Amino acid sequence: MVTQTSNDTYQPTKVFFYSSLVWLVIGMIYGLILALKFIWPNFLVWGPLQVILQFGRIRPIHTNMLLFGWLTMANIGALFYVIPKLCRNQLSFPKMATFLGYFWNAIIVVGSVALTMGYTTVTEYGEWPLWIDILVVIGVGMLAMICFSTIANRNEKQLYVSLWYFMGSLIWLPGLYIIGNLPYKLLSGVPQFLIFWFYGHNVIGLWFTTVGVGLIYYLLPYLTKNALYSHRLSLIGFWTIATFYVWNGPHHLQNGPIPLWLMKAGIIPSVLLIIPVWAVLANVFGTLKGKWHAVAHNTPLKFLVTGAIFYLITCLQGPFQSLQGPSSIVKFTDWVPGHAHLPVFGAFSYVAFAVMYYVIPKIVYHHIYSNRMMETHFWLSTIGLLLFTFSTWTAGVFEGFAWIEGAQYGLQFVEMLVAMQPFFWIRAVGGTLMFLAQIFFIINLYKTIQLGKKSQNTNESSA
Amino acid sequence: MSGFANERSMFTYVIGASILFLIGVFGTAYLPFYDDQMQAPNENAELRNYSVDSAEYRGREVYIREGCHVCHTMFVRPVLADSALGPISQPADYYYEAPAMLGSKRTGADLMWVGNRWNADWHREHLINPQKILPGSIMPRYDYLSEQDMEDLIAYLMSLKPSPQTEGRPVN
Repeated sequence: MVTQTSNDTYQPTKVFFYSSLVWLVIGMIYGLILALKFIWPNFLVWGPLQVILQFGRIRPIHTNMLLFGWLTMANIGALFYVIPKLCRNQLSFPKMATFLGYFWNAIIVVGSVALTMGYTTVTEYGEWPLWIDILVVIGVGMLAMICFSTIANRNEKQLYVSLWYFMGSLIWLPGLYIIGNLPYKLLSGVPQFLIFWFYGHNVIGLWFTTVGVGLIYYLLPYLTKNALYSHRLSLIGFWTIATFYVWNGPHHLQNGPIPLWLMKAGIIPSVLLIIPVWAVLANVFGTLKGKWHAVAHNTPLKFLVTGAIFYLITCLQGPFQSLQGPSSIVKFTDWVPGHAHLPVFGAFSYVAFAVMYYVIPKIVYHHIYSNRMMETHFWLSTIGLLLFTFSTWTAGVFEGFAWIEGAQYGLQFVEMLVAMQPFFWIRAVGGTLMFLAQIFFIINLYKTIQLGKKSQNTNESSA
Repeated sequence: MSGFANERSMFTYVIGASILFLIGVFGTAYLPFYDDQMQAPNENAELRNYSVDSAEYRGREVYIREGCHVCHTMFVRPVLADSALGPISQPADYYYEAPAMLGSKRTGADLMWVGNRWNADWHREHLINPQKILPGSIMPRYDYLSEQDMEDLIAYLMSLKPSPQTEGRPVN
């Protein structure tokens, strides 16, 4: 008998991967609209669109859709593929896993509608209203149950590095999501704002980062055909990120209304984060030893290595800008979105791209349709991101010094903004390239999936 | 890989990851509530503790709904870049702020003490057409707000003034 898609063991991964691509496109369109509103504030101010696409309402839609629609769904799809491989078994509760995919999509839809209507909790990256947060926590609970149960029933006794990171992430995500999204009328003042940034920083560091690093550890030995360089480095990396990352929230209030002990408690671990980052990077470079030539013509590996390097840059830049002096210049400026795009697009979206280019051929049984399109995807993304980040960093430094000169409000502030227009243009061009790159990505994957279906059908009919 | 017997148990990781996480939560998300500086409101906080049926309260809801906090901070630091913005913010100023809107990005100017800066007519003109008042501004037009929402929002913005108690607080 022919096995139909309903019995496909990769069905959960497929649901998550394919949905994430839709959110990638829509979320980036929102991002482009935001970038263009920096140049033409009245862009798309037309009938009801004036309200629906108002800057203050859609910026959280852009961030939430890309963080939870694109990158989280790509990560979950990857977890559902990688965990059973590392455990040499099947995913537990596969039906629930597929259901979770549809459930998660529904969350993104209602979350985006709520934000469009102006229902927001103000928590950065957690703006969705409380009732949606409850759905998220239920979803994350299901995710943790599926993954932990798969790991508990493993046939491979040894827990590979990636699994440590995945287990950590699956404990941290529900923890920080609940703490960060407590009903906002219950708390107040600066301690509440500290909780907002406890959440905002850690959702990047203890979910996107740790899943991404786990995926790097999984893919790198396959793509380089080298064994992992150092077991000890991976141990150091895991336990130091688990120790230091969670303390980073207070650096978002650098120079702000918080006691000195708290400022120190936030800054020192921020600087110490260089240890886990370097542990990962040393391991990546060590594993690549003798295989650097492969980076030139292996696009998934190129994405993975570039992603790792962007991760390094992010985590050298982050501690720097958390210090009192640099923070007094670049905090609140356009430097910040430049820094924020580096880990979520540069580092961990690149890892997700590499994962999809590696995993999709295995689950649709067909090699990637076009290598040239993969290369185009890489170069447009990278050039676009570099234009985006360098323009925002430069603009940020100028803005910081203009404020020091006194351009802090009114006409002087606006004069400073007018002077920044060339940088806003470069940012928009960079963003456009990043967006175009994803069109190549998606068309390429779509063709691959279609070819996979076709060849499977011919196999079945000839069998 | 067979030489690492201690890496065969999930519990090391589950318990280790949980404990390290909880220590960080305790330090950065729980302890701050018990710091002396966070404990008591001052006059600024009282001024901003609006009653639910006031125009300022409704205006603050409009401020949140339209996402003003996305581009405007309320956060004056003891640094040169904030030297013209007014008194430096203290934890007690925010005692009743829920949700706290200190902000993370100044695409527009800081609004901590914006009530001192302009009058209500200026705000009305500016909200309806920012480019008319400040040529080159990239703020969106809020000409779609209902009259009620507009007046409430202006009342809220005008209420963002330092109390007399704040006078004499260092501004830079």
